[in-house]
Amino acid sequence: MSKEAIIQAAYDSIIECDEEKAMKALDDAKEQGISFVELLSEGFSAGIRELGERFAFGEVFLPELMACTEVMQKAVAIIEEEMEKSGQQTKKKGVMVIGTVEGDIHDIGKGIVASMVKTNGIEVHDLGREVPARVFVEKAEEYGADFIGSSALLTTTMTVQKEIEEILKKEGLKGKYKTMVGGAPVTQRWADKIGADAFCEDATEAVKTIQKWLKEMGREEGM
Amino acid sequence: MKKYFTRMGDGSAVYMTEEEIRKDIEAGIANAVRGAKVDPLTDDEIEHLYNIITAPDSVVSVENHRRVVQTSDSSSNKLGRHSGIAIDQPTQTVIYERCLGCDSMDMGLNDYNFKAVKSCAENEAVIVKNALTYSAMPLLYGGMPNLGFYTKPDGPVDNWAELLPAGKLDEARAAQEEAVEYAVHDMVFVADTMYKVGVDGINLDTCGASGDADWLAALKACEIIRNKYPDMGVEMGMAGEFVLGMHGKLEYDGVRLAGLYPHQQVKLAEKAGATIFGAVVNTNSNMSFAWNLARTCTFIKACMEVAEIPVHVNVGMGVGAIPMSEYMPADVVSRTDKALIEICNIDGL
Amino acid sequence: MGGMHTAGDLVLRMQLAKGMKIDEAKKYVADKLGITVEELCDPIVMSEIREELGLGLQLPKSKDAIAMEAKINIAKVLGIKINSVEVFKSRANL
Repeated sequence: MSKEAIIQAAYDSIIECDEEKAMKALDDAKEQGISFVELLSEGFSAGIRELGERFAFGEVFLPELMACTEVMQKAVAIIEEEMEKSGQQTKKKGVMVIGTVEGDIHDIGKGIVASMVKTNGIEVHDLGREVPARVFVEKAEEYGADFIGSSALLTTTMTVQKEIEEILKKEGLKGKYKTMVGGAPVTQRWADKIGADAFCEDATEAVKTIQKWLKEMGREEGM
Repeated sequence: MKKYFTRMGDGSAVYMTEEEIRKDIEAGIANAVRGAKVDPLTDDEIEHLYNIITAPDSVVSVENHRRVVQTSDSSSNKLGRHSGIAIDQPTQTVIYERCLGCDSMDMGLNDYNFKAVKSCAENEAVIVKNALTYSAMPLLYGGMPNLGFYTKPDGPVDNWAELLPAGKLDEARAAQEEAVEYAVHDMVFVADTMYKVGVDGINLDTCGASGDADWLAALKACEIIRNKYPDMGVEMGMAGEFVLGMHGKLEYDGVRLAGLYPHQQVKLAEKAGATIFGAVVNTNSNMSFAWNLARTCTFIKACMEVAEIPVHVNVGMGVGAIPMSEYMPADVVSRTDKALIEICNIDGL
Repeated sequence: MGGMHTAGDLVLRMQLAKGMKIDEAKKYVADKLGITVEELCDPIVMSEIREELGLGLQLPKSKDAIAMEAKINIAKVLGIKINSVEVFKSRANL
């Protein structure tokens, strides 16, 4: 089987949510000596990006997306294992804490972002909902995070995102973490006003933003 | 090169050239066509849209005979809740009617959820009755199905937003199906209570906000309410341009709900007996007003072509091409209204 | 459409009660009032008609029908049932 066909199979296995196909693509890649890094980025990750795009247009639904991200995570776990055996760099590229802010219980969007980001080699700690500003910072410190993501679905709860920035500044931690904000009433204007590093309209944009940051940090291939 | 004043989706003022505006119009249309698989706007409609966007006046309008009616959401307590003016709701409805020229108003709790109303429905009914006695315009009673509020710890059902990422798909679906029944009960209970005091209609707002199960609850409730009270109107307002598939397999009248766009949503609303359909298109705050308005018009035009009941397009904070801001500039609001009326031939706002 | 300043509330009643699309609802109301569709949005014309028929006014005088009084007249003129009017009549034993 050609390299292109194997990479295509990896891509298809995510789109079709086919674990068996994913495992076969991995076996074929190993047999043919195809780089797992390439298989991951051109195959599996490309599939997840396409799925994200289709989800944004309502062509793919959340349970399907979650099932496909599970296939992705299984594939990634095997790739990580193989790369460790061969002495290559581990897959973890960064750490993120994410949560819905205090006073807000809406967590659908935040959950989707967490799942999508996880499939991109980021260790994600989902803090849940109604998370006080102080806890975002404390947990970021505890987990050695690189990124802090906060979601607010109400104009009345958005202010917690500002509090997070204020705490970071006050404790001299601004710059240690990259902050991203999201949620229905949140805009770029708001992000600029409070000093957040990024505003992300949806999960796809959150992933793109993190990938951009990883590139800036020189961590595309891992930590 | 001449630049035109316009705005971004977050309300920021920008100046754009003709080329930039036209490019954004094309891109907005293409985005809508890609998603909903509907026809694009015609060349004449695009030109008309461009002229509306670039009109020199701050506020634009339509010919007198093209004016349309208005319904609303989020309750009549806006003077009290948003402007901080301490006036009771019945008095606010009279202000809306006589001073502000509203065609109707929807009353509701500050916590605009049917689940919250259930426990104080009787008290709410007295307030509604007072308002009905003091005012002459149509009054609806509104709320959101808001299925998420039925999940633990706020409700009895397991939280599918936690079950899904954990890979528990069957459990997540079962939880949503369970929540539907609770929500239907509450919406019908509130409708029963308000009907008894004479309300003109029920407004089921942001249907589908928690996904396809949320909309299914609203459809089922609408059907029951309309069967019980054929002389009371039901307005069904949506939450977005497509129905989020949190469950993915739910159907109404044999049609899968997830992924449906306004031109498809309205047909099911009609099947459920809704008398007014509130189409919604979310604003992308990163894109320009031109992009957002072109996209909105493309979706709504397709919806209007098939709708047999009146369609009131939601035009407000973050929807209908309006910026995501509590302070909505009249320049973009009036342009959206004009475009929707003249290009899409809507029945109301 | 201007609500009580013109005829917006009346047109909306037809949408809510009978599911009429906007043009149909406007024509229905205009026919019932004996005016043109264009005149429906004219506050000069409509204030006179509303005063004459007791349909409620933006700036009511003491002699003018308001609130429930106006709604009873609206129901008659438009030939529709208004729920709050029916409840009022029933509770007042009329």
